[in-house]
Amino acid sequence: MPPIIRFDQVSVIAHEKTILSDISFTLFSGEKAVLCGKSGSGKSSVLRTLLGLHPVTSGVVYFQEVPLTPASVQNIRSCTAYIGQEPVLGAESVRDALLLPFQFKAHREQQPTQQQLIDVLQRLQLPADILKQDSSRISGGEKQRIALARGLLLGKKVYLLDEVTSALDADSKQAVFDVFSDPELTVLSVAHDPEWLQRCAIIFELEAGRLTQVKRHEHP
Amino acid sequence: MNTLDIALPQMVLLYVLCLLPWLLLWLIGLRLSRDIGISILRMSIQLLLVGIYLKMLFDLNNPWLNGLWILIMLLVADVSILRRAGLKVRYFALATFTAIASSILFSTAYLVILVIQPTHYYDARYIVPLAGMILGNCLQGNVIALERFYSSLRKNENEYTTFLMLGATRWEAVRPYFRDAIKAAINPTIASMATMGLVSLPGMMTGQILGGSEPWLAVKYQIAIMICIFTSTTIACIINLKLSLNIAFNPFDVLKNELIEKH
Repeated sequence: MPPIIRFDQVSVIAHEKTILSDISFTLFSGEKAVLCGKSGSGKSSVLRTLLGLHPVTSGVVYFQEVPLTPASVQNIRSCTAYIGQEPVLGAESVRDALLLPFQFKAHREQQPTQQQLIDVLQRLQLPADILKQDSSRISGGEKQRIALARGLLLGKKVYLLDEVTSALDADSKQAVFDVFSDPELTVLSVAHDPEWLQRCAIIFELEAGRLTQVKRHEHP
Repeated sequence: MNTLDIALPQMVLLYVLCLLPWLLLWLIGLRLSRDIGISILRMSIQLLLVGIYLKMLFDLNNPWLNGLWILIMLLVADVSILRRAGLKVRYFALATFTAIASSILFSTAYLVILVIQPTHYYDARYIVPLAGMILGNCLQGNVIALERFYSSLRKNENEYTTFLMLGATRWEAVRPYFRDAIKAAINPTIASMATMGLVSLPGMMTGQILGGSEPWLAVKYQIAIMICIFTSTTIACIINLKLSLNIAFNPFDVLKNELIEKH
């Protein structure tokens, strides 16, 4: 089976500062990986580079074995769900935020039904009446789960998660763990949370933009 | 009917009037003598030069010379728009020039050739002041459009990126900021049309009446100029922003911050 994500000696230099240096790794379908390291070690930059948000100085980033180029970046973005530490909902109400991606041409044909909306909220331990709430009035943890719900509604299989459990209580964290126990989903994440690290089979250690160690442990 | 001339002694009397606001400002503790002096001096010299130039332009009434004058106005407006909007002139000059030139030429030509129909369409008496007035207003609109668009894009960079990550194309992702910027740019024109004649007498109409025109004629010209300003501002702002989208982003749809001056 070909890998989903592959970094081949990737370096990123922005504003004369080295952000990533000579990074190589491979991630196959269904694998769960986490990037660890001190802040500023380049963990989030790995995710951002894959999404075409940092120009690659040397090396090649592959997604489904296709090199990252201006022509292929739209495909990468529409196949992956990126959830940052403070997700932006980008709409007034929670319902509009969940339906936002379906306004774009890429997803216009996949409009979810009301039932699908409620189901996905339930999976993430969110009440159905959150749909009516104002996006600006919900908590950080709820925002992260709404952003995750958007990915699930879009049927995404690859998740790029940046500290996604940081603002969650034990119950909602468990709900998120349950979602990602699905062997079909591939995860590349950034986290400090020991519980999250436990659940990731592959741990990439980063230091000053370099990949210093790769640990693999059998999935629990 | 000729307008009464203002003779030199009376002109001096006019400058004397400036002493009154200067004195009042001084009394309330505002020391603006330098700024006021420079502004009045600049106004006088610039208008004197324009007067000399316009006199020559009208006397010769040569289509090429008239065209050259409009071209110079467009180039000055181009640089001025980009400087005031905080964008690097070198990169955006062609886009802004294309936008303002096409919209100004279109609306001035429409007004002069189809509506006013003078004997010579290139008549300096019509095209120079009309194109100048339309351009002046169009300039304001373009400054607002560019400034608003790029500053809100920078301010909402996370939101813009989120749109991209949710599958939006560059155009889909910038559309909310695009609409806001165009709205902000044309709002002053729409508002001024709505209050025209109620709040103040428009400058051009006042000028024409002073120049001896029938009020009715002045009103028709005022309506003509407002419609042309509205049309050309809208067209210019949309073309300008659209063209700038091809310049201000890298091929991965990320805004090139280095093309925008820091305020």
